Amino acid sequence: MPSLYVHVPFCIKKCDYCAFYSLPLIDWSEGYGRMPQSAGDSGLISGYLRGAAREIELRSGEAPAGVSSLYIGGGTPTVLSWRQLDTLLNEIHQYFTFSDSEKTTEANPGTVDEEKLKVLRNYRVNRISLGAQSFNDRLLCQMGRIHRSQDIWQAVKRIRKAGIHNLNLDLIFGLPGQDLKDWKDTLRKASELSPEHLSVYALTLEEGTPFGEKYLQDRTEFLPDDDLQADMYAWAAAFLEEKGYRHYEISNFARPGYECKHNLTYWQGEDYIGLGPGAVSCIQNVRSKNNEDITAYIEDHGKGQKTFALCETEFLTAAQLMSEYMMLGLRTEEGISLTGFLQKFKVSVQDIYGPIMANYIDRGFLFIAEDRLTLNKQYMFVANAIIRDFMR
Amino acid sequence: MAQASSKIRNFSIIAHIDHGKSTLADRLIEYTGTLSTRELKEQVLDSMDLERERGITIKLQAVRLRYKAKDGEVYELNLIDTPGHVDFSYEVSRSLAACEGALLVVDAAQGIEAQTLANVYLALENDLEIIPVINKIDLPSAEPDRVKQEIEDVIGIDASEAILASAKSGVGVEEILEAIVKRIPPPQGNDEKPLKSLIFDSKFDSYKGAIPYIRIFDGQVTKGTNIKMMSSGKVFEITEVGVFTPGMTIAEELKAGQVGYIAGSIKNVGDTRVGDTVTDAGNPAPEALPGYRKAISMVFCGLYPVETSDYDRLKDALEKLQLNDASLMYENETSAALGFGFRCGFLGLLHMEIIQERIEREFGLSIITTAPSVVYKVNTTDREQILIDNPALLPPEGKIESIEEPMVKASVMVPAEFVGTIMELNQEKRGSFLNMDYITASRVSLYYELPLSEIVYDYFDQLKSRTKGYASLDYELTGYKEANLVKLDIMLNGEIVDALSFIVHKDKAYPRGRKLVEKLRGLIPRQMFEIPVQAVIGAKVIARENIRAMRKDVLAKCYGGDITRKRKLLEKQKEGKKRMKQVGNVEIPQEAFMAVLKMDD
Repeated sequence: MPSLYVHVPFCIKKCDYCAFYSLPLIDWSEGYGRMPQSAGDSGLISGYLRGAAREIELRSGEAPAGVSSLYIGGGTPTVLSWRQLDTLLNEIHQYFTFSDSEKTTEANPGTVDEEKLKVLRNYRVNRISLGAQSFNDRLLCQMGRIHRSQDIWQAVKRIRKAGIHNLNLDLIFGLPGQDLKDWKDTLRKASELSPEHLSVYALTLEEGTPFGEKYLQDRTEFLPDDDLQADMYAWAAAFLEEKGYRHYEISNFARPGYECKHNLTYWQGEDYIGLGPGAVSCIQNVRSKNNEDITAYIEDHGKGQKTFALCETEFLTAAQLMSEYMMLGLRTEEGISLTGFLQKFKVSVQDIYGPIMANYIDRGFLFIAEDRLTLNKQYMFVANAIIRDFMR
Repeated sequence: MAQASSKIRNFSIIAHIDHGKSTLADRLIEYTGTLSTRELKEQVLDSMDLERERGITIKLQAVRLRYKAKDGEVYELNLIDTPGHVDFSYEVSRSLAACEGALLVVDAAQGIEAQTLANVYLALENDLEIIPVINKIDLPSAEPDRVKQEIEDVIGIDASEAILASAKSGVGVEEILEAIVKRIPPPQGNDEKPLKSLIFDSKFDSYKGAIPYIRIFDGQVTKGTNIKMMSSGKVFEITEVGVFTPGMTIAEELKAGQVGYIAGSIKNVGDTRVGDTVTDAGNPAPEALPGYRKAISMVFCGLYPVETSDYDRLKDALEKLQLNDASLMYENETSAALGFGFRCGFLGLLHMEIIQERIEREFGLSIITTAPSVVYKVNTTDREQILIDNPALLPPEGKIESIEEPMVKASVMVPAEFVGTIMELNQEKRGSFLNMDYITASRVSLYYELPLSEIVYDYFDQLKSRTKGYASLDYELTGYKEANLVKLDIMLNGEIVDALSFIVHKDKAYPRGRKLVEKLRGLIPRQMFEIPVQAVIGAKVIARENIRAMRKDVLAKCYGGDITRKRKLLEKQKEGKKRMKQVGNVEIPQEAFMAVLKMDD
């Protein structure tokens, strides 16, 4: 049974490090925000909602037995008004049934209000993933975030008050100008809010983003080097584990039982349906990506057709599937299941990866316990160096 | 007509690099109408890319020119080109042996250079008629009179009739052609005598087999002639004879005095040994031509494919290159670090670089070159002498009584102001001063005895850079001398990497080891564990650096929309990793092996 992802491609403002497909709702080109000139008024959001409604209807057949979990991400889903949110959630629930209880919506601390939370609760959304990123206002400002640390506290208070008992905070480390002290401070403040889940990401410089432009060419002294980043990561892991969080994936920590079920489906190689512009689906070994361009997305669905960006459709070979199975599975604390591999590929891990595995096991980078092959936790921050060798 | 044609002239051009040899050759080709300017350009484009880029001739070329002289007669002029770099003096001797005369081209501003001098002496030894040509006379800095004087003083030949020319603008070209006709003697020899011809080069053609380039001294050869190689006694039936125009053009026959090629499905290029005498199997010459000194490999290094699976392709590439370059030697070699490869012998460092580049360019292979080495004579404690061209094979210290290294006599020609610089350089390079000549008041020849290994290391680059390019160098092997030499090994993570070992003078071992270790630390990427990099002599560590363990190599986010991209990224990285050599658990990039070669960068 696939999981369901719905992409809401709007933000108030695009953050300087972000490479996701998302349109800013406010024109910031003159250095200060000018109120909605754009998406809201020009009908892009309503167009999007119409397109999404059609896509939901068209593609509901891909999950005849229902979907396991729901994840509404973006962009910033909570830039939609409560009415718009209601429309979207209503469409989703009209066509899809959910076997599992986990339903997540991403939110930006500056865009969470009681009405929106109430709508979410009406549809039994029970998990909020809040893009906190940092508790340092200087760094928040520099990243181009629209919120300040104060907003995080308020948003969390509202979320809790609305009866949501599963909260994730996203945090970023390795930011330009950030030192270990800043990072510890952010982590301590985050933990004071007692989220059930924390995603802790090393900053990735992406081409085509302002951060990428600024720092990829010229790796300046402002950027924490690999050693400092590794120290930040190690400190976070130790601190959070001490606070009772399980380090269950490279970048993810959760109180026992609060691991994100939706994201686990990706790491376990399950099928997933992605709706909305630029969203990616993977069903029965075919991975396809929706048209990223919102106008094309709206038009395609206006004509009653699916909106695959055809050039990006991929028919995964057995070798690629195995590579991915290892790449994703080894990210998690659970590792990969040897019998799971055998069932999926009709061949044993040993037959495919025997010598590589043996070498890494001998050297203590990987280990096998019962049915599972896992990465030694102390090497999570250098996981690529090992995972790479499992690519076929 | 039994006597060789009096209308043939065979000549070559002796010149220092940049003194305008190629331009002059082009002018001669153009002036005689052998090729039009347009064809000339295309022709040039066909020749080896590397030669054009480096502005040097590597492979000797031959061309037949038809020239109607002022006396109204049409002459056949065969130009056999010579390479100008010191590494290739062997090739020069080949072309000179096929000629009766030579143009000595000297730059009107720069005068004679060491290499030119060496080649002129070779020509004089071969009794060649020398026609001095003072080129680039249109340069503002030209001093033709001074250069004339220099030619007389240094070489001791009459320069009063030296031709003043500018190959660039065409001045003096006709005069040169006339001088070739008038002053160079026609070939001696007789068409009716048994065939006697000298192989001065050869080439491999995938359709026609090995094609020897020959100069006929006596007799003639046509299609159908059964020829015999005098060194091996092997017989081949000739299926094609031809001349160079400059492309290969089929001819009826080749007669005494002429220059051309013969083909006869000779499958093995080893059968067309340069220097061998070709005769008629049915009517053989009583004795062979003298031939000339064999190419000696001076520099050796290991060549290994970056990807082990490319071994066969590398072997194939070497085979093909050797077909057209008899001076390239190679044999199988195995390295603990690099796997299967080849130990190759070259005429010099430039030759080595050229072969390396041709393998990469023409065959699309990535290769690793180990540090160049000369041949050492090792006297062992059990009174044996062994030859070592691979440092990894040096016996353990305790077994060595003494090591001898090859020495050269080097002559360096420089403007007098650089004498101090040259002395300093030679001192650094363990040279001992022999003597010094003032060629003119402002130009000097210095003679030194030096270890060949120092020349191989970076002598030439240093010489050029310290004298602003004014110095020129020639050297010849003189023999072996005992020296205090040691083997320096590099250990990575406690294991010796044989491909990085080299033999060095004890006094230089410490700085060289120090430098190499530092360089390797920068070139080897951080890995999963800390890697000590040590330079050791025997059991003694003389330098050490640490490559700290890698701390970050991770994809922070990997969700549904990221998977394809991340998989492709990792696949690509894995491909890149294949270019690394695995020694123990340490991955070493190609550049690290090159570090030994270019330590002064």
